[in-house]
Amino acid sequence: MLQVNNINVYYGKVEALFNVSFEVGDNEIVSLIGANGAGKTTLMKTIVGINKVQSGNIEYNGKEISNQHAHKTVYDGIVYVPEGREVFPQMTVYENLEMGAFSKKYTKGEMDDHIAEVYDLFPRLKERSKQAAGTMSGGEQQMLAIGRGMMSDPKLLMFDEPSLGLAPVIVDEMFRAIIKINESRKTPIVIAEQNAFMAMSISKRTYVLEVGHIVTHGASPELLNSPDIKKAYLGG
Amino acid sequence: MTGQIILQLIVSGLALGFIYALVAIEYTLIFNSTGLLNFSHDKFIMFGAYIFAAQFLLNMGVSPAIGIIATLATMFIFGVLVATGIFNPLRNMASPLFAVIGTVFLGRILTEITRLIWGATPFTVPGFLKGVVRIGNVVITKANITVIIVSAIIVVLLQIFFNKTKTGKAMRCVQQNKTAATLMGINVAKNINFTIALSAVICAAIGIMVIPLFTVDLTIANMIGLKGFAAGVVGGFGYLPGAIVGGIAIGILENLSTLVIPTLYKDCIAFVLLIAILLIKPSGLLGHKK
Repeated sequence: MLQVNNINVYYGKVEALFNVSFEVGDNEIVSLIGANGAGKTTLMKTIVGINKVQSGNIEYNGKEISNQHAHKTVYDGIVYVPEGREVFPQMTVYENLEMGAFSKKYTKGEMDDHIAEVYDLFPRLKERSKQAAGTMSGGEQQMLAIGRGMMSDPKLLMFDEPSLGLAPVIVDEMFRAIIKINESRKTPIVIAEQNAFMAMSISKRTYVLEVGHIVTHGASPELLNSPDIKKAYLGG
Repeated sequence: MTGQIILQLIVSGLALGFIYALVAIEYTLIFNSTGLLNFSHDKFIMFGAYIFAAQFLLNMGVSPAIGIIATLATMFIFGVLVATGIFNPLRNMASPLFAVIGTVFLGRILTEITRLIWGATPFTVPGFLKGVVRIGNVVITKANITVIIVSAIIVVLLQIFFNKTKTGKAMRCVQQNKTAATLMGINVAKNINFTIALSAVICAAIGIMVIPLFTVDLTIANMIGLKGFAAGVVGGFGYLPGAIVGGIAIGILENLSTLVIPTLYKDCIAFVLLIAILLIKPSGLLGHKK
């Protein structure tokens, strides 16, 4: 459904992505692994339109979406949950979720149903519904960022470092939630992670990025057993 | 007798205080949304006053009601134009200095445009909001009553707008996190244009309301512009409830000060208060942290 064909992306004069091709099929979870600065975030931001492509193109369900304004991408059903949560700190949890549905014209009932679904996935958010988002813990803010991303009924969800800075027990909860979203809503998911083992174990396919190049890609279980990958990303 | 004088001073101070509060709100909206200080905001107020008084009332002779609507509409369009042409490009420049210079000179340009179109001679608008109302022993001018009521309505409407409407909530999102707002599908540039237009409309409302209080001239809004700025800082910079509290506090305090110090020094109160607050509690009376 999403096809990225040979894109080159620059930050000013510095090239950040070299001839990158990347694909997401229906219902699948795809992981994007690589070290800090490899270009995972850049690739995701380019897909949503925050970064512009110099050459190459991005197609989504046959529609060309490269270089379209970032605020329009969500109307196509692509939702990017950014690194570092980026919640609206002075708004309540409830209001943050409401804003997740900005691109939709929900009735009051539809809005309630969507919020109930998020609360169902993360009961903690329900307890905090009236609390200002900025006053919550990192894990809770990550739950909120994921929940906010679900509000617009996305057709493709992209998570950028959902485990960053979280306690191991919360990381497990986060990944369980991601699997659940994929299974219950049949939404294809892209996860960019430094926690390569976690991301690869829940995904069907994996792309490995190194300084702006896709160095290898393939089925996650196979890559998990590859000696090179083990050495570089899985600690031996 | 003294009690009555105090009451009298409080009521007229309240009216001016609301004006300062609106000034503080008007520039806080732009600051929160773009991170820019609009150094031409007092000229927006002056411009609004001239469009209403000089153009619509005196030149074209329309009724005040139609004049008000036409002025607010004109200033809305004016707001969109300066937002698209000046504020949005300046916001993305390398240094905030560009924006400072840009808005300062926008103010100069507005002053000169006004001088060219409507002349430099000060004037008053006869019969607009003149007269007094007596409540017991207290005499209140109609202008002051209008200011208090209209300002209170504007403040309440803004609260409803920001908390209940989709556009208002989107404006809060843009203030808090522009990247995330974009990801929600909010057109940030368009949203900022709307915020600036809204600020220009509030400026026009202030301009219209101060006409009966002052003589209409090119410097009509200089002092309220400065005191409104002080009001924002005193109440808590960038925080709307703080702007209201700061404005009303300054308005009432400076009026009451005439009981103990010569009237000549009344205008100093706002700035003494500003410096005192900056020294003692820099985050402002309501101490809001971002």
